[in-house]
Amino acid sequence: MIERMTVHNLYIFDRNGSCLHYSEWNRKKQAGISKEEEFKLMYGMLFSIRSFISKMSPLDMKDGFLAFQTSRYKLHYYETPTGIKLVLNTDLGVPNCRDTLQQIYSTLYVEYIVRNPLCVLGESLQSDLFSSKLDSFIRALPFFSVRAA
Amino acid sequence: MKPLSSITADMADDVLFEFLHMEIVAHVYKEHATREDIDKERVTCVSTLELMGFRVGQGLIERFTKDCPTFKDDLDVMKFLCKDFWSTIFRKQIDNLRTNHQGTYVLQDNKFALLTQLSSGKQYLEEAPKYLAFSCGLIRGALSNLGLESVVTAEVSLMPSCKFQVVIQKL
Repeated sequence: MIERMTVHNLYIFDRNGSCLHYSEWNRKKQAGISKEEEFKLMYGMLFSIRSFISKMSPLDMKDGFLAFQTSRYKLHYYETPTGIKLVLNTDLGVPNCRDTLQQIYSTLYVEYIVRNPLCVLGESLQSDLFSSKLDSFIRALPFFSVRAA
Repeated sequence: MKPLSSITADMADDVLFEFLHMEIVAHVYKEHATREDIDKERVTCVSTLELMGFRVGQGLIERFTKDCPTFKDDLDVMKFLCKDFWSTIFRKQIDNLRTNHQGTYVLQDNKFALLTQLSSGKQYLEEAPKYLAFSCGLIRGALSNLGLESVVTAEVSLMPSCKFQVVIQKL
């Protein structure tokens, strides 16, 4: 069986929990709830997990929550000092994605959203330029390959 | 990989002005937002921004040309504007200069620095003129201090490319 790696979807949240952006590339199963509920669920989970690990960690915290995995997919997490949270779901073959998420933040979010005077911070991201640059970036990742239907 | 200190030294200059410009535009529009007439409000805002650019352009051109010899003619002035003036402010030159040799010049910038982060096509097109007003003033101010009175307008149809039209006023 050929090992294929892929990216399923990406969420970007701001520090207040609003979902700024969501894109999917390879999602085979939907959550069965509305998008709004899904975003709330995702943010709630992140909030709980972060609080959990900071309490229960047997050692001093370094980077905090990085990722979790199931038998089918892996969820990668990155939080910036300004409270922007990026969540990337990929399949299991993908190693640590922290640098990728950090790159998405610095080369895409900061460049095309923060430096765009018409993007209001805190509202969902409307810039087509950002969406298309993000799409090309994800598709160019070494671990992205679209699964045959 | 450049060391962090040199990256921030390169970046800091551009971004400071960009963010300040964004805020100036937002501030001017907020100040005038109470009026009911949208068109009148836009005209007032654009001319406020243009006047700011005018004064800045006048000052900048004094500084940039203090060691230069006098210019031969109008075309020479426009070429200076397109090359040295533009690259000192926006880190690149004007891509195309056209003229009818009768006082009208069109300066085309295919990747105008204040528009590149907005969009690469048609999105946000109606808002783009707000971010060009200050730069029109820059050009008009620069020319004015070199002895040329002009009328400068800008048009944009596909971002981030835009054209500045300069009509020199003959007395």
